[in-house]
Amino acid sequence: MLSVLSYGRLVARAVIGGLSQTDSRDYSLVSASFGFGKDFRKGILKKGMCYGDDACFIARHRSADVLGVADGVGGWRDYGVDPSQFSGTLMRTCERMVKEGRFVPSNPVGILTTSYYELLQNKVPLLGSSTACLVVLDRQSHRLHTANLGDSGFLVVRGGEVVHRSDEQQHYFNTPFQLSIAPPEAEGSVLSDSPEAADSSSFDVQLGDIILTATDGLFDNMPDYMILQELKKLKNTNYESIQQTAKSIAEQAHVLAYDPNYMSPFAQFACDNGLNVRGGKPDDITVLLSIVAEYTD
Amino acid sequence: MFPMLTLLSMFYYICLRRRSRSGTRSEALGSRRAVELGQRSALPVTVEVEQYGKEVLDFSSHYGSENSMSYTMWNLAGVPNVYPSSGDFTQTAVFRTYGSWWEQCISSATPFRRTPPNFHSLDYLELAFEEPVYPTAVEVLETYHPGAIVKILACSLNPFSQNPPADVRWEVLWAGKPNKSLTPQARQFSPSIRQISFASNLLRLEVNSTLLDYYTELDAVILRGVRERPILALYKIPVIDINDLSDSEEEISDAGGLCCRSGGENRHNMGNGYFDRLPYELIQLIVSHLPVPDLCRLAQSCKLFHKHCCDPLQYIQLSLQPYWARLTDASLSHLQSRCTLLQRLNMSWTGNRGAVTAAGFCSFMKACGLSLVCLELSCCHFLTEACLEVIAQTCQCLQELNLASCDRLQPQAFNLIAKLPNLRRLVLYRTKVEQSAILSILTFCPELRHLNLGSCVMIEDYDVVASMLSARCRSLRSLDLWRCRNLSERGLAELVSGCRLLEELDLGWCSTLQSSSGCFQHLARSLPRLRKLFLTANRTVCDSDLEELAANCSALEHLDILGTRMVSPVSLRKLLQCCPQLKLLDVSFCSQIDSRFIQELSGLFPNVSIKKSFTQ
Repeated sequence: MLSVLSYGRLVARAVIGGLSQTDSRDYSLVSASFGFGKDFRKGILKKGMCYGDDACFIARHRSADVLGVADGVGGWRDYGVDPSQFSGTLMRTCERMVKEGRFVPSNPVGILTTSYYELLQNKVPLLGSSTACLVVLDRQSHRLHTANLGDSGFLVVRGGEVVHRSDEQQHYFNTPFQLSIAPPEAEGSVLSDSPEAADSSSFDVQLGDIILTATDGLFDNMPDYMILQELKKLKNTNYESIQQTAKSIAEQAHVLAYDPNYMSPFAQFACDNGLNVRGGKPDDITVLLSIVAEYTD
Repeated sequence: MFPMLTLLSMFYYICLRRRSRSGTRSEALGSRRAVELGQRSALPVTVEVEQYGKEVLDFSSHYGSENSMSYTMWNLAGVPNVYPSSGDFTQTAVFRTYGSWWEQCISSATPFRRTPPNFHSLDYLELAFEEPVYPTAVEVLETYHPGAIVKILACSLNPFSQNPPADVRWEVLWAGKPNKSLTPQARQFSPSIRQISFASNLLRLEVNSTLLDYYTELDAVILRGVRERPILALYKIPVIDINDLSDSEEEISDAGGLCCRSGGENRHNMGNGYFDRLPYELIQLIVSHLPVPDLCRLAQSCKLFHKHCCDPLQYIQLSLQPYWARLTDASLSHLQSRCTLLQRLNMSWTGNRGAVTAAGFCSFMKACGLSLVCLELSCCHFLTEACLEVIAQTCQCLQELNLASCDRLQPQAFNLIAKLPNLRRLVLYRTKVEQSAILSILTFCPELRHLNLGSCVMIEDYDVVASMLSARCRSLRSLDLWRCRNLSERGLAELVSGCRLLEELDLGWCSTLQSSSGCFQHLARSLPRLRKLFLTANRTVCDSDLEELAANCSALEHLDILGTRMVSPVSLRKLLQCCPQLKLLDVSFCSQIDSRFIQELSGLFPNVSIKKSFTQ
């Protein structure tokens, strides 16, 4: 009698344990990056994860995986300021913040805000501006939290379809929302958006979801269906195949950018706004490709 | 016959055995050693554990903002971020001061007499590691202007354990003199450390950057150690430092025991030789050169010296800071009877981790605080509101009070400082003092000459504070508003119009001040006596500000304009020409001022130390 009960309890526990097992596993992102700077011919040797004026980072912490891209606004070059300094420092500060655990996974806007104000704590007088897009995967709750300021963005692809995407934030044509630090004499006339103006969103993700985070160099040159076509070729969840796919997407966008006859999404948008243009948009391209997989140490 | 034979044979047998043993003893020993060695090699080799810091638990000061990752002490934990690169990077741990510039200021405390010659420490930090080990090596990765570390100590307490032990011991692993290193380049500092008798995961580094040219920056600390207590010395046993004061606590407590002995007045000629013939005052003078532990030791030698060493006239100034590791409630109570005439007391850094309790401090204060004029209590984490209450009640003559980095003191405690009407010097650096408390203090302490509100993040509106200063504290000579986030030109204008005697003003990292409002020019015109002005990282400082300073502030000695892009070489040269007293000029990260120009200026103005930091 007793043994039947104990046996029954064992079986019940095993069954329930088996059912709930999928929910208690931690998720993680397997990520790879690839990109092209607009003037890659100059051969400026930069620290890794910088493509032209774009910068990105991939960071892991106990509780979360975090990705980020930032697109430095090129117009600063005309004033003698290197636009990659701001975006690069912003991304490295976000990365350091994540590595040291000074963040809450459900609040990526907080990461952006704190990192932005940390830039002001630097002795070096940083100048410049950039967009920013942060994606945080909370390992335990299986939720993706995002923050986006400007025209960089992300796509979440499930089963060959886009299930989530970010919205572009623009003030007017070709002028995205941007975080900036201006020289004191120009403070009134330089566009400077507060980090709190970033769009944020949160949603659940499943194993096998593909997350593509990129700067506008990609989205302005490659429409969704082309991106999805490339992503279909992704069969494995290992790092090498993700790296390969990211590379092929970036390369394709790079080729299209310099095609003068191709009707890129950028050209399409310009036409819709009354500007008669055609062709790709030469720009820095940064692609971060991630797949949601089970967490392994 | 037969018993004799057996006896003889036994005897012979025993002798033979002994001889064989002694004959082959050396070989036997050798074989035993070989066996031991063999065993040792067969046993697992004692594994050396290497750890990076886990958490910075305490420190006396830092350059960065509270809650920031830039130039703050918390960067010392974890793996290095910068090493082996050299330079002035945000990811390092930087202390608030360097060199002797702050000692030259009028706002600094007068040094205490009787500081032991081997105590050089000006700042400290405490770094905890994950696992307690018996330390075999400590490596400090210094990435900028190395050479500041003067002492490394290890603590027997595990800060992460749930049941802290009753007695906490600190042992000196290494001590040295402040070092002037020749270059600002990064280096790995790994002094040979003593072997200690307990496992430790809490290290304390004490620094002195007086000889350095710029801020020293630390990136990481590596602690190497073994888990089991080493049986043999892993390195040669160092000579025990005769100045090591690890026994002084017993002396101080013994001296207390000695005090119980009744010492009735005696005739002359008690067998103390010529000392009996010397006048009282002369022996007092001789004894006044002894540091405190030696004074306590001398008190035990004979009744005559006991009388001299316990004379309250020897304890008019008392600095207990060098003995922070050994000061306890018991020490305080034993010193109590001698300190009734105490005028200057330095208890900075003492009493942490339960060594001194608030109650012990309060009773000491009640007994000895009546004539107190100067009280240094920097980094005293045992302080509570009750302690300040006792200070406020007892020390009515108090003129100087230092509560720097007492960051565990509750905000409401600071209201009590308003009850000290004679206060002239008040240091509240890195405390939680709030707006209402500081306004109350300023209202009731009109004699304030030196006020330090650096990194006081809980004060909401510095304009109001400035306004109150200009109304009530017109004798103000020095004001430190380092990192006050919301002082505007309005507040600054009121301040300089009311406090005309200001000689030192630190407005470093006050980002809300805009030069375009003319506030710095107004400042220069209003404060002709200005000797120190820090406008660190105010990106709006421009040529016209320097021109006004050149025209009005000829007494200027220290100027920091780090990080502005708007100052040109011409106005800088003019400033140097017009301020002949200038000794310190920090133009780091001023983009228009390049190294070639600095070299030229250094040649023209050799008395000025021009600082130009770099990030490589």
